[in-house]
Amino acid sequence: MRRVVPLISALVLLAGCGGTVDDTIELTVFAASSLSTAFTDEIGPAFEAQHEGTTVIFNFAASDALAAQIQSEGTADVFASASGTWMDAVQDDPGVSDRQDFAQNRLVIITPPENPGGIGSIEDLANEGVQLVLAAEGVPVGDYSREALTNAGIADEAEANVVSNEEDNGSVVAKIASGEGDAGIVYESDISAAAGNDVTAVQIPDDVNVIATYPIAVVTGAPNADLAADFITYVTGPDGQASLEEYGFMPV
Amino acid sequence: MRSRTPLPLWILAGVGVVFVSLPLVALVVRAPWDDIATSLRGAGASEALRLSLVVSLTATALSLLLGVPLAWILARSRIPGRSVLRAIVVLPIVLPPVVGGIGLLAALGRGGVVGQWMYATFGLQLTFTTWGAILATTFVSMPLVVLATEAGLRSIDRRYEQAASALGASPRYSIRRVVLPMLGPQLAAGAVLAWARALGEFGATITFAGNLAGRTQTLPLAVYETRLSDPGGAIFLSLILVVLSIAVLVVMRDRLTQAR
Repeated sequence: MRRVVPLISALVLLAGCGGTVDDTIELTVFAASSLSTAFTDEIGPAFEAQHEGTTVIFNFAASDALAAQIQSEGTADVFASASGTWMDAVQDDPGVSDRQDFAQNRLVIITPPENPGGIGSIEDLANEGVQLVLAAEGVPVGDYSREALTNAGIADEAEANVVSNEEDNGSVVAKIASGEGDAGIVYESDISAAAGNDVTAVQIPDDVNVIATYPIAVVTGAPNADLAADFITYVTGPDGQASLEEYGFMPV
Repeated sequence: MRSRTPLPLWILAGVGVVFVSLPLVALVVRAPWDDIATSLRGAGASEALRLSLVVSLTATALSLLLGVPLAWILARSRIPGRSVLRAIVVLPIVLPPVVGGIGLLAALGRGGVVGQWMYATFGLQLTFTTWGAILATTFVSMPLVVLATEAGLRSIDRRYEQAASALGASPRYSIRRVVLPMLGPQLAAGAVLAWARALGEFGATITFAGNLAGRTQTLPLAVYETRLSDPGGAIFLSLILVVLSIAVLVVMRDRLTQAR
């Protein structure tokens, strides 16, 4: 015991030091995983450069998971969702302000570069024996993918070809980039040049495509509400929009 | 007896027990017991349970088949680099399972180092199949068999075998009638631990084999997929896993290891 107590006290002291020593303001942004490269590589650093003494902390996950975290823990300043549904959920509880749409994203079919399934169009996903990888139902991109397959009139055939329901966009890309599946469906932003994945894109025509609209808002009870509003102004402004376009998003 | 244990030990041990058991109790408290039937059906519990049993039991059998001979080599032979070999074999215990999954993909996936050849030559694909889930699970559970068996082999007095062979027993006969019976409890303990670990396997399986109900979606994967869309169902699936694991750890372990 005699040796353990000082050790524990030292650990407690060390733990107490974290984050409280300097006086920078931390802006916490909860954002859909599809935004991660655009936000961490460009928008976050640019916003920090404009607002001295501000550190932007990102928490990336599937939008449904983020909404659940905001509702149970409530520590976010900004919420950027990949679908209106989960923003609606947060708007109901704990509430949001300054809500606006800031980006759009199209679905795209991806195949390994050698295209073993011979996929040339969305209809080919119904061909027998195609190994199709989708995000699970309930994950926004998974629901949108199924909507597009329904629009193309091949919902049942394609569902029978599904070999795996992945937990997020990145996992779908990983399964295709490694050559395991023949085709997957993800957001265009997931495979933008910046993401650097070794996959080939097959476009989905507009009349069957499901275009995701991304809303952003200040979460009610945000510790830094003013700064959060500034962040939203930046994202919806010309610089933010230009960055997003570079990463495969379409402006609203 | 009781009075000899210092009070601080009791207190700390008590905190430890509460810390570990509180989440389990909370699961029971939070479970929506009123709609247990619809929850279980909606979450596909029976399919996931069946697959979990198939995958974990097959993986345990494979772990024994490969792990026991490995333990024998590690305990009994004088090969060079034995400690390095042991470290490599036991590595999956400390490795994040997702790393194991990525490694298996690189090795045995359709585009993997060996898998590429398997697919081109035999049309054999492991990813997205139940066998893929079994292999991923074996990868993480086999080291437990190796460790337990090797410890058991080392604790056996070799003079019993020498006596057997002096009395004319062939090496094979003495393994079967002398070593294996003495090794029994350790072997059983290893198998039970491996089985329990196999039941809980998640990371290597979802990374290598993917997630499809009825084919690769074991109970832990089903919990993960339903936790947002159907939190109640996820709790019941979790409770099935908890009960199953406790049954394996308590009942099987006691029965097998104390039989002698």
